[in-house]
Amino acid sequence: MNKHFVRLILAASGFLAACVSASAHPHVWVTMQGELVYASDGSITGVRYNWTFDDMFSAFAVQGLDAKKPGEFSREELGPLAKENVNSLKDFGYFTFAKANGKKVELKEPIDYYLDYNIKDTVLTLHFTVPFKTPLKTKELNLEIYDPEYFVDFSFKDVKEPITLAGAPAACKLTVAKPQELSVQPGQQLGEAFFNQLSAGDNWGAQFANKVSVKCP
Amino acid sequence: MKIVAGGRTTDNFAKFALAVVAILLLATLLDAALLAHALAQGSPFGGPRPGTAPVPTSGIVGWLFAKQAEFYRQFSGLIRASKADGTAAWSLMGVSFLYGIFHAAGPGHGKAVISSYLVANEETWMRGVVLSFLSALMQALVAITVVGVAAVLLHASAGTMNLAVNWIETLSYALIILVGLRLLWVKGRAFIAAARDLGRPTGALGAAVTPAEAVHDHHDHAHDHDHDHAHCDHDHHAHAATPGHDAHDGHDHGHSHHDHDHDDASAWGHAHAPEPEELAGPGGWGRGLSAIVAVGLRPCSGAILVLVFALAQGLFWVGAASTFVMGLGTFITVATIATIAVSARSWASRMASSRSGYGILAMRGIEAGAALVIIGFGALLLGGYMVNERMVGF
Repeated sequence: MNKHFVRLILAASGFLAACVSASAHPHVWVTMQGELVYASDGSITGVRYNWTFDDMFSAFAVQGLDAKKPGEFSREELGPLAKENVNSLKDFGYFTFAKANGKKVELKEPIDYYLDYNIKDTVLTLHFTVPFKTPLKTKELNLEIYDPEYFVDFSFKDVKEPITLAGAPAACKLTVAKPQELSVQPGQQLGEAFFNQLSAGDNWGAQFANKVSVKCP
Repeated sequence: MKIVAGGRTTDNFAKFALAVVAILLLATLLDAALLAHALAQGSPFGGPRPGTAPVPTSGIVGWLFAKQAEFYRQFSGLIRASKADGTAAWSLMGVSFLYGIFHAAGPGHGKAVISSYLVANEETWMRGVVLSFLSALMQALVAITVVGVAAVLLHASAGTMNLAVNWIETLSYALIILVGLRLLWVKGRAFIAAARDLGRPTGALGAAVTPAEAVHDHHDHAHDHDHDHAHCDHDHHAHAATPGHDAHDGHDHGHSHHDHDHDDASAWGHAHAPEPEELAGPGGWGRGLSAIVAVGLRPCSGAILVLVFALAQGLFWVGAASTFVMGLGTFITVATIATIAVSARSWASRMASSRSGYGILAMRGIEAGAALVIIGFGALLLGGYMVNERMVGF
């Protein structure tokens, strides 16, 4: 009987430890579009994003904000919120992990940022540009967009070209890897097989990374 | 301190050691992911950021994870639908309940603190369940109060609510440390006393047994009484008095406790856990209250987001009901874990009672260790808050 109890306790400990690790689930969903911004000399200067938040988080973010028309928020009224957002995002590296020829690309503080509010869908969209510290002329640029803690779920907007190249040399080739099958969409059921395919590691959120790659000859 | 391990008991000793390790593992692992929370940064967009832990390791875990996300994603649609359709509100309650069960398996929700508290205080199963229920209820009430007062009455912004939640968090973590310190003060001294007693010859102890106590006729028991910390041994005593009795039987515990309370004018008496029968009494609630408040103060991020969204939809009451139902689900998970902790502890103390001296010392060690675990969590959480405050947006 004692032996059984030991087993029970050990099994329970293991199960609970496992449960603890199962805890992470996103609380914020972002649907994004973006473009890589090129200078006239063919170097990449940064990334321009449009991030649309889910309705629950949007409601939280605009809670208590004053608007002339209730339920409608102008770009001006959302100005302070946009500033706070980009300031906070700095601590997370804008969830953008950029590598040029295998080397990490440093990012600067965002410019041209603003929020707008879609009254019909009651969602906020954050527009901002993250400049690279130094404009890059590179044969290969890889971008990954994700939250390592997976508090925020990122997915590309369901359009033909969620990421575009703005002013890139004609020879450059863009590939975009949607982790759509890795994102938990509204109402979507995920089978066990899906999770078995995920590898365990410290960087859990990286498995939900959206990948962008540009290759220029 | 001398530890004499007879050859006869080697097998028991191995089992006992296993139990000790298992209990400590249990207490620490339950909320190990809280560390992740402690180290986690603030929210990128200023939303409440819960503790997040990486790495699901198996299909079952992945399934739990998927369920949480699945339920969570249904909230906004169901709240919207509740406006026009009453049945959607019922679906929302169902989803809230399931979400509470699954989500509470994750970090937070005070599982480590509650379990450690139960282990350190040799609490009964009944009290474990009641504590779990009250802390879950309080968590729901705090979330509703924060959003109700800040958003509904004061028309506060998300930033103000974040600030309020941060203050509540800090208070909660400080309270957890205090609860742990108080326990350590009591249990640490009991541990030291037990260690000191080990060195004394056992023969002399029997002489100190008074007739009233001798009814129980248990060696450890007498031994402890002699040294004025008998309250710590009620468990062994109860089990020794009713061999083979189920460890969960709170009633039995209670009775033996009562006997002790009457004839044991122990200096440690104040630290004694109240009996189930005492729970409803005026003094009984006060003791567990510190743990309930410490654990229940911190509201769940998901609940706050649901409440604010419901408010924006003009359905605050639906959000409030959903939060309560979530709390019910949380209660079920936490109570399950509390049950395991209490069972493990009872079993270990049964093992300990068969090994006088060392067994008692080990039990005192487990109790003091559990108190340390509580302090550790509180300290880490409090430290994490410092980081949080710096990072919070809005």
